[in-house]
Amino acid sequence: MTVEVMVGNKAAATGAKLSRVQVAVAFPVTPQTTIVEYLNEFITKGEMDCEFINVEGELSAQVVVQAASRIGARTFCCTSGPGCLYMHHPMHDTSSLRLPVVMAVVHRGNKGMQPDHTDLMSHIMTGWIQWYVENNQEVLDSIIMAYRVAEDMRVRIPIAVGYDGYILSYTAEPVDVPEQEEVDDFLPPYKPTPSLMPEDFDPKAPLWWRVPWEEHHKVIVDAKEVIKEVNEEFGKRFGRSYGNGLVEEYRCEDAEAVIVAMGTIASTARDAIDNLKAEGKPIGLVKLKCLVPFPYEDFQRIGSEVRAIGMIDRNVCLGVGGVGHTFIRNAIYDLEERPKVLGFHAGLAGKEVKVSDIERMAEKVLKAARGESVSPLVEWV
Amino acid sequence: MIEIRFHGRGGQGAVTASRLIAEAVAKEGKYAQAIPMYGTERRGAPVTAYVRIDYRPIRRRDLVHEPDIVIVIDPILSRKPSVAAGLKSGGLLLLNYPTPPEEVEIGGDFMVSTVDATTIALETLGRPITNTAVLGAFSRVTGITKLKSLEEAILKRFPGEIGKRNVEALRRAYEEVHLPKPAKGPLRPREEEPPHVTGYGVLKSVADWRVFRPVVDLEKCVGCRLCWIYCPETAISLVDEKPIIDYDKCKGCGICVHECPVKAIEFVRESV
Ligand code: SF4
Ligand code: SF4
Repeated sequence: MTVEVMVGNKAAATGAKLSRVQVAVAFPVTPQTTIVEYLNEFITKGEMDCEFINVEGELSAQVVVQAASRIGARTFCCTSGPGCLYMHHPMHDTSSLRLPVVMAVVHRGNKGMQPDHTDLMSHIMTGWIQWYVENNQEVLDSIIMAYRVAEDMRVRIPIAVGYDGYILSYTAEPVDVPEQEEVDDFLPPYKPTPSLMPEDFDPKAPLWWRVPWEEHHKVIVDAKEVIKEVNEEFGKRFGRSYGNGLVEEYRCEDAEAVIVAMGTIASTARDAIDNLKAEGKPIGLVKLKCLVPFPYEDFQRIGSEVRAIGMIDRNVCLGVGGVGHTFIRNAIYDLEERPKVLGFHAGLAGKEVKVSDIERMAEKVLKAARGESVSPLVEWV
Repeated sequence: MIEIRFHGRGGQGAVTASRLIAEAVAKEGKYAQAIPMYGTERRGAPVTAYVRIDYRPIRRRDLVHEPDIVIVIDPILSRKPSVAAGLKSGGLLLLNYPTPPEEVEIGGDFMVSTVDATTIALETLGRPITNTAVLGAFSRVTGITKLKSLEEAILKRFPGEIGKRNVEALRRAYEEVHLPKPAKGPLRPREEEPPHVTGYGVLKSVADWRVFRPVVDLEKCVGCRLCWIYCPETAISLVDEKPIIDYDKCKGCGICVHECPVKAIEFVRESV
């Protein structure tokens, strides 16, 4: 293991390299572009035995990763904002065909170049597992873990690893880079099922072809257990894990209220929670990493332990509300005693979210936990 | 935690400087975060970068609003009091500036230190890329990172001759920096935002981006129009088939100087 100071995009490319990705397909788009550059640098220097396929756009990129994955190559894709939206249709098929593609999504909103989570969240119904990560270390680690989960025979579903453009893509910080042998031990080679390569093609084997909706849904719901297992094993081998793989509770012991955050906002929120804890305030942080499949069970348990939850959404489902806020309210509905669930839209179109902003949101959630009336229940920060 | 804000211009290497500091302190076992602020990527446009340094992993991801240290690697930005906006009381303002700290016009309850990084860069690198020189001054004045760690970080990033020359710039600035003095100048930073990327040349003057000014010798000029074609700022117009430079639009990139086939354009250093 060596420590290297690297930007988020290099962490993503390094994760793909350590995962021994065999085919990478991408169309460059800001702020993802330098992933493409790093991959090609690794390939040119002979550090990575991988075919990089140039395509004319993201729609083709997604179709080409499908083909490569089907014939048995471990495949990687990466994109941002508008490029991510452009591959919507084939993304449905990648999941329907149960192809374990891993894709880095470097968040970029659709109102400019700056990040929010609306790009990847527009794909909630495509059947991709969605993770939102908070620092460059987690970018690298999550790409490796994503292949283990996606290729598990119980799952065989593609995974998108999302991280905030600019805030991580170009920010340099130290990252522990695991040794290749350690990653090889953790991540065995990918075997396609069924293989379409002539030498092992079996014409009688059932061919996976667009799994029916009900089964498709169930496979993704059940992937939660595999994600937890893989996260735990990663922790044992590499000394780092990320909560239970779905959510991470940070200083939630004795909390009467929690704030829930995703991506880099969760990272900043740790400082806010430490400050409030130092003042004796009973608040904790829940980092929501895995949005799809949604960790209902975790939020039911958390919801039964606290009196108020404040969800910080770096997104808006227009005309509906915050995605996290809506899902959490859904999760807690069946509880006998329900906590208040407050919503905050923050950080959209890259708007800066300061430690002090999160402290103020947390104070409001604490107020609700004390039974005081707060209004509005959902606010734009 | 120590928080640093860099000001520079596209092409001077503020972002690289922020990353070199992060790499150097990481070698010394500390944690760091180097955040660039990108606008339109345009040589000459003001650029801001931030660095945080701590003994434990750094988690906050907002920008730095109250830096302990402000480093300005561009001599003209070094004259703007707004570069010191938000600088903490007792903090340090490190300027690329040709004169000693006593002659700096910016004042406040902080210290100021100067180094003539442009001259050092021109003499060692042959170009006004001032980032590595300023880092040498930073190491000497703050002691936050050792010169050796910075040297290693530079040589890793720039192998060969370029690396060696950058290390020379670093070492020279380490020796030549004027040590900090209280900032007694008359100009106070106002509570305005520090300079960031500003609009395109057609709207605003970019004259103060220049380190060098192109001057056409109309006698030598053969009217080939190459300078007029290549100028990225459309600062050159043709009057009677000869180039006239609009110095509000000229950012001093030197492309016209480079392209002129008869060397009719001289590049003259602007005074600070
Ligand atoms: S230096 Fe020459 S090319 Fe560059 S902006 Fe000025 S006139 Fe144009
Ligand atoms: S490039 Fe030189 S010779 Fe040609 S028009 Fe410009 S100044 Fe004159």
